[in-house]
Amino acid sequence: MIASTMLEFRNVSFSRGPRLLLDRLSFGIEAQEMVALVGPNGVGKTTMLKLASRLLPPTSGEILLEGKPLAAWSRRELPRAIALVPQELEIPFSFRVEEIVAQGRVPYQPLFGASTPVDRKAVENALEAVDITGLRHRVYSELSGGERQRVKIAIGLAQQPKVMLLDEPTQHLDIGRQIELIALLGQLNARGITIIAAVHDLNLVAENFSSVILLTPEPSWMAGSADEVLRPDLLERAFSVRQSALGRYFFTPASQWHGASLVGD
Amino acid sequence: MNGLRTERRPRLQPDPSSPAARSEQAVGTRGHKIATLPDRGQSTLQTRISTRALNLLLFAALLLAIVIATALGAVRLPVSEVVRTLLHPTRATEAAEIIFGLRLPRVIAAALVGAALSATGVLFQGLFRNPLADPFVLGTSGGAALGGAVGIFLIPTLSFAGFSATAVLAFCGSVLTMILVWYLARASGRFAMETLLLAGFAIGTMLNAATVVFELREEASNSGLRVLAAWLHGQLGIPTWSQIALISPLVAISVVLALPVAGRLNTLALGEEYAAQLGVSVGRVRMATVILGSLLTAAAVSLGGLIGFVGLLVPHFLRILIGPNHVRLLPAAALGGATFLILADTAARTAFAPTEIPVGVFTAFLGGPAFLYLLNHRSRESRQ
Repeated sequence: MIASTMLEFRNVSFSRGPRLLLDRLSFGIEAQEMVALVGPNGVGKTTMLKLASRLLPPTSGEILLEGKPLAAWSRRELPRAIALVPQELEIPFSFRVEEIVAQGRVPYQPLFGASTPVDRKAVENALEAVDITGLRHRVYSELSGGERQRVKIAIGLAQQPKVMLLDEPTQHLDIGRQIELIALLGQLNARGITIIAAVHDLNLVAENFSSVILLTPEPSWMAGSADEVLRPDLLERAFSVRQSALGRYFFTPASQWHGASLVGD
Repeated sequence: MNGLRTERRPRLQPDPSSPAARSEQAVGTRGHKIATLPDRGQSTLQTRISTRALNLLLFAALLLAIVIATALGAVRLPVSEVVRTLLHPTRATEAAEIIFGLRLPRVIAAALVGAALSATGVLFQGLFRNPLADPFVLGTSGGAALGGAVGIFLIPTLSFAGFSATAVLAFCGSVLTMILVWYLARASGRFAMETLLLAGFAIGTMLNAATVVFELREEASNSGLRVLAAWLHGQLGIPTWSQIALISPLVAISVVLALPVAGRLNTLALGEEYAAQLGVSVGRVRMATVILGSLLTAAAVSLGGLIGFVGLLVPHFLRILIGPNHVRLLPAAALGGATFLILADTAARTAFAPTEIPVGVFTAFLGGPAFLYLLNHRSRESRQ
């Protein structure tokens, strides 16, 4: 086992009923990588993230975190190493941002324990890292989409994880907030957190992510560097859309699109 | 079919020229520095009261309510006399007879029922993530009363570990109702509000139907029927001191045991899946909530029957004052609920004296409109 492999999928398959959703995923993600998870709607991106955070068990195969099978991690140990930031988070009652983010400390607290200075410091750092200290007393359900995204990421940061899984963090955000959010992920990545994010915007992916995992509906998959995976022919198959149509929306890397592969097609 | 797989590389390799370095550069050179989000002024909820202050206030209010409620009634006792008698309980006076024989047991019963129902409201609302989840609305009060009625009429002589069959069956009725409501509401994936409310309605109707059956049975004892009628209307009786000695510790211990559960209910506010991801054993929290809530409901029903909306009104009002944190809300709701029901019962028995109206009728007049307001408020919210 290579020590620097943070998260490894070994022949992981997942079926929902009779339908095979993920077929023998096998790849390793190095520590501190920034990986985009790309693929059409319903292809299993959310499922893959849930598998990686043990919310779902794989039908077959094995997932290892730092070389240790997920099943061997204790219930409270795992959320200290890996945090899943879900797509939607609805919160009943008028809980404040601060109270919500403090829930990220639950894996560190015994059942009867109150929050310690260490917990409060971690919450403080999380709020600061996503730049929402000014929102701490605001009620979560009254926040805008962009603000909510930041709160969700702050919960994950309060867990002080090594790996952060994000399910479509740019969903519902305007282009400015999307760019800000991806920049934020880059900052977190630079601080040493391995990032795996499901993202739809291929331009954002090509510009900001070092590696890409592409899931296709067959089901099949491809993992590699952004340049290797975001190829016109692969995207055409994955998204069932003609390259010429796709090329109008996906601008980078521009040279490749308007170069050999399209002309020769 | 497997064309993609032949293209794959076994391992994602970090590209030294790109990963972290590139994203940092992207941030730096393009000036996408994250702007500080403006604080749009603080919400009105900023003025939440400190918990300790509120608990002290609620405790003082509870003591005051006990004294006032004990003084009021057919024979009006001066407050000074009540306080003197309560402090020196051994003095044999006429006032002492009224206080210890009639008024105080009823006041304590009201306090226990109010505390139990409000605490249960907090627990169930946290579990269902829904401010409408009150033991009366969900039907668990009805389930407890139905269980109790079965005990009274079918097996009145049975007892179990010192508890009468009535009490044990009331608890079972509450637990079973809760499980039923849980699975009915869960069938649609998430808790559908309609299902929660309709389940409560169905259980209530079954209770009424069962009552008719019991009334028609010739061998039904009159005392049993009176108990059942009192339960249906939410009429507090005058409990015996041995009943109080049994139920007070039950309520107190359940509330104390519910405190750590309440902490986990805060995490559950993020959703069951999120709580599971944070290492919370959701199944255990759910089980503990159902058991403790059912114990409290059974205790409340055995003293006062179907008293509605207390578990809805009191937590809702306190949430406005101290916020939704369940750990703070639970003790405050127990204290506030006790005070509220003492005052409500006093009003119910003195307002139209010498006629007493059941306290359940009184809380329905207050709670019904509050329930409808919350219902409207919530369906508006979900439509947005």
